[in-house]
Amino acid sequence: MTTEAIPSAAAVPPVGAAAALAVHGLTVRFGDLAAVEDVGIAFAPGRIHAVVGQNGAGKTTFARAVMGLVRPAAGSVELAGRTLPPGDVVAARAAGIDMVHQSFALPPTFTVAEALELFVPAPGPVYRRSTMEARWERVLRDAGIEASPRARIRDLPIETLQALEIVRALAGRPSLLILDEPTAVLPPPAIERLFARLAAIRATGVTILIVLHKVREVLELADTVSVLRHGRLVLPPTPASELTPARLGHLIVGSDATAAAAAVAEADAIEEAVAGAPHHAADAVPVLRVSGASTAAAAAEAPLRDVSLEIRPGEIVGIAAVEGNGQRALVRAVVGLDTLSAGRLEIDGADVTRAETLERRRRGLRAIPFDRNSEGVSATSSLWENVTIGELLRPAPGRRFVTPGRLRARATEALDAWNVRYGSVDQRAGELSGGNIQRLIFSRELGADARLVVAAQPTRGLDLAATAFVRETLRDLRDRDAGILLVSSDLDELFECSDRIVVLLGGAVAAEFRSPFSLAAVGAAMVGATEPGR
Amino acid sequence: MEQLIATTLRTSAPIALVALGGVIAWRAGIFHLGLEGLMVIGAFFAVAGTVATGEVLIGLLAAIVACLIASALFWVVIVPMRANAIIAGLGLSIIGVGATSYLLPVLYGKRGILEVDQGLWRPITGVQAGIAGALSELSVMVWLIPAFVLVVWVLVRRTSWGLRLAAVGEHPFAARSAGVDPARMRLVALLACGVLCALGGAALSLGSIVAFRENMTEGRGYIAFTAVIFGGGGPIGAAVASLFFGFAEAVGIQTQLVARDLPVPSQFILMLPYILTIVAVFISGLAAGGRSRLPGAFGELRDG
Repeated sequence: MTTEAIPSAAAVPPVGAAAALAVHGLTVRFGDLAAVEDVGIAFAPGRIHAVVGQNGAGKTTFARAVMGLVRPAAGSVELAGRTLPPGDVVAARAAGIDMVHQSFALPPTFTVAEALELFVPAPGPVYRRSTMEARWERVLRDAGIEASPRARIRDLPIETLQALEIVRALAGRPSLLILDEPTAVLPPPAIERLFARLAAIRATGVTILIVLHKVREVLELADTVSVLRHGRLVLPPTPASELTPARLGHLIVGSDATAAAAAVAEADAIEEAVAGAPHHAADAVPVLRVSGASTAAAAAEAPLRDVSLEIRPGEIVGIAAVEGNGQRALVRAVVGLDTLSAGRLEIDGADVTRAETLERRRRGLRAIPFDRNSEGVSATSSLWENVTIGELLRPAPGRRFVTPGRLRARATEALDAWNVRYGSVDQRAGELSGGNIQRLIFSRELGADARLVVAAQPTRGLDLAATAFVRETLRDLRDRDAGILLVSSDLDELFECSDRIVVLLGGAVAAEFRSPFSLAAVGAAMVGATEPGR
Repeated sequence: MEQLIATTLRTSAPIALVALGGVIAWRAGIFHLGLEGLMVIGAFFAVAGTVATGEVLIGLLAAIVACLIASALFWVVIVPMRANAIIAGLGLSIIGVGATSYLLPVLYGKRGILEVDQGLWRPITGVQAGIAGALSELSVMVWLIPAFVLVVWVLVRRTSWGLRLAAVGEHPFAARSAGVDPARMRLVALLACGVLCALGGAALSLGSIVAFRENMTEGRGYIAFTAVIFGGGGPIGAAVASLFFGFAEAVGIQTQLVARDLPVPSQFILMLPYILTIVAVFISGLAAGGRSRLPGAFGELRDG
C-alpha cells in the first residue's frame, strides 16, 4: 500500500471561538525527549473526540498536560476561550476539566466514600462518616452504580472502579471530560456499557476527549479523530465518518511497513479467521496436562478450582479471563511458583506436580512472565547475566566455574539473533525499552529446546511493530511443535493467535471455544453471562 | 501495683507522643527512622531552654523550634534532594544523639548529665499515700495524652486534610490529581511530627527525672516507630502499643526491685521487656494474618 497524503499539523479546522478546548503550540519534554511537540489543536463542544496513536506517541502526556498534571515546556491551554495557568491541576479542575485515568486515581485502602471525598475541591474541615457516606450513596445510586460507599477500593472489580472514576470526575460538573485508555482494562461487554455511558454523558452537553489506540473502538465511538505520532499531530480532528480503518492505521504508524501491516490487521482481525489450520495431532501426548488442579486461596485473586486442560504439540491455547479470575494462579502453578493443593500436572507425560521450577525447565518449560520488568529480568543486572542466567544457575556438565567471557559471547550471539537493540552486553537490563526487554526474554526462553511456553501478556505495552513480532514468534514456535499457553487480556490477540480458548471464571474453567471465535460468546462466558459453551 | 501503673503511664507517655508524630509521617508515606534523633533533640533543648531562662514554657518552645528546624532539614534531604529516607532518618537519629552529647560539655562544661531545678507542672500534689501518691509524680504531659490522641485521630481520620495526607502516602498520583502537592504535604506532615517529637522529648527530660542525660532516649524513638507499625498506622493503635511498651518497661523495672533476692541472673530480668515485646509483635502479626498494612506507595516518596 502507498502512504497517503498526510494533512499538515498546522491545519487546525476553523472551530474558532466556539472551541470547548483549544491548545496552542503545546510542547512537553522529559529530559531530552520531547514527548509532545508543538501540538496545536481545537475541539468543538458537545462531541466525543478521540486522540489516537501508538504507545509512546504522546497521547497520555498530551491529556495530562491539558489536565495540568504535567507542566509543558511551551504552549498554552484554553478552555472555552480562557487561558489556563500551566501545570496547575487545581485551576484546571476549577475551570471545568476532569480526567479518568487508565490505572485510576483511587487509593486502594480508602473506602469508596473516602476516595470520592478526596476530590471535593472545597470540603468542610471535619466530616462525619455517616453523613459523608449517605451523600455519596445518593450520588452512586443516581449514577446507577452498585457499590457500597463503605466498600474498600481494593475489593472492587475493575469495571466498578472505572465507573467510580467517572462519577468522581463528573462530580465537579466539568465541561470537558478526559478519559485515558478507558477500554484497556475492560472485557468486551463492559466496553459496550462504557460507550453507552459516554454517549449519555455527551447528551448532557459535556465535551469528551478520549485517548485510545484501537482503531475499531475509535471508529465505533468517536465523532472526530485526531492522530499523534512521535509527539506530533499528524491528523487534526477529522469526522470519524471520513476515515477508514486502513487509512487510520497508516496515519497511526506512519511509514514503518511491518507495523502498518499489523495495524491494518488489527483493524479487521476481529472478522478474520485464524490463518492456516492448526496442525497438531489430536492423539499426541499432550505437552501440558493439567487435571483437577486447585490452589490455596490467595489475597489478590481467585485460586484455581478443579481446573483441567490440555495443550497438544503444535497448539496455542488461549486463556481468556477478566483480571483476577485465576489466570495468574494458573501461570504460577504451571511455572512452579505455587504448588497445587489438589490435582496433577504433567509435562510431556511426566508427572511434575511436585517438581521444582528448575526441574520443569529441564523438561522444556519456558515462561514469559506477566511483568517483564520485575519478573522477567533483573533490571539492575547486566544483559549478559540476564540472558545466561540458566547456565549461571545450573552450569553445563563438566563446567564448574562461570566464565564470563564465554557467557558474554553467548549473550551477544543470542541478543543479535533476536534483534535486540542495545549498547553493550554489560549495560543494565533496566535501560532497555519495553519491546527490547521482551526480545531479550524471548532470546533466553524461546530456544530450540522450548517444549511448553507459558506466555503471559506477551504484548502488553508494546507498540504495533513489536506486537507483530511477538505474535509471529509464537506462531513459529507452534510450527515447531511446541505447546503454548497464551494468557492475554487482549481478546483480539487471543482470537488471532489461539487454536482453542479456555475461559476462566472465579478460578474454574467456565467454557472452552474453538476457532472461529465469537466475541459475544467469549465475552459473555468471561463475565458468567451464559451457559458453558462448546 | 500502684507503682506499676504509675511507672507504666510515666514511661509510655513520651513514647506515645513520639509515636503520634510517627503516625502522621507514616500516613504521608515516610518511613521515619529519625524519630529517635528528634526525641533526643527535644529532650536536650527542653532542658537547655529551661536552664537558660528559668521558664519551663520557654524550654518547651526551644524544644519545638529545634525539632522543627531538624524536621525541615530532614524534608529537604529526602524530598527535594531525593535521598533515601531510611538512611537519612538513621542519620538524623545518630546526629541527634551525637550532637546533644557533644553540646553538653561544650555549652555547660558537664559530662553525662545536665540537671535543672524545675520540670513540667504536676497536677496532683501534696499526697503521699496510695494510688494518688504514686500518680503525683506524673507530669501534665501524661494526663494530656488522651487529648493528643483524640486530636491526632480527628485530624487523620475525620478531616479532609487527613484524607489528603493518606492519599499522598498511599497513591501520590491520586493526590496530585485531586490538586494536592505531595512534596508540600510531606513537609507539613514532617513539621507536625517534629512538634510531637519535641513534646515527647520534653516529657522525658522534664517529666519525672528533670534532667538531660547523654543518650537519654536509649532507643525510645525506635520503640515509638515500632509502636506505629504495631498499631497499624493509626493513632489509637499507636497509643495502645506505646502503653504496652511502657508496661513492658515498667514490669522490667518493678521486677528488678522485687526480684533482687531471686536466684535469677539480673540480665534475664532486664531482657523481660524485650521478650514481651517480641511475643506481642509476633501475636499481632498472627492476628493480622500476614497481611501487610503498609500503604501502597510506601516509602517511595514518588510524585505520581
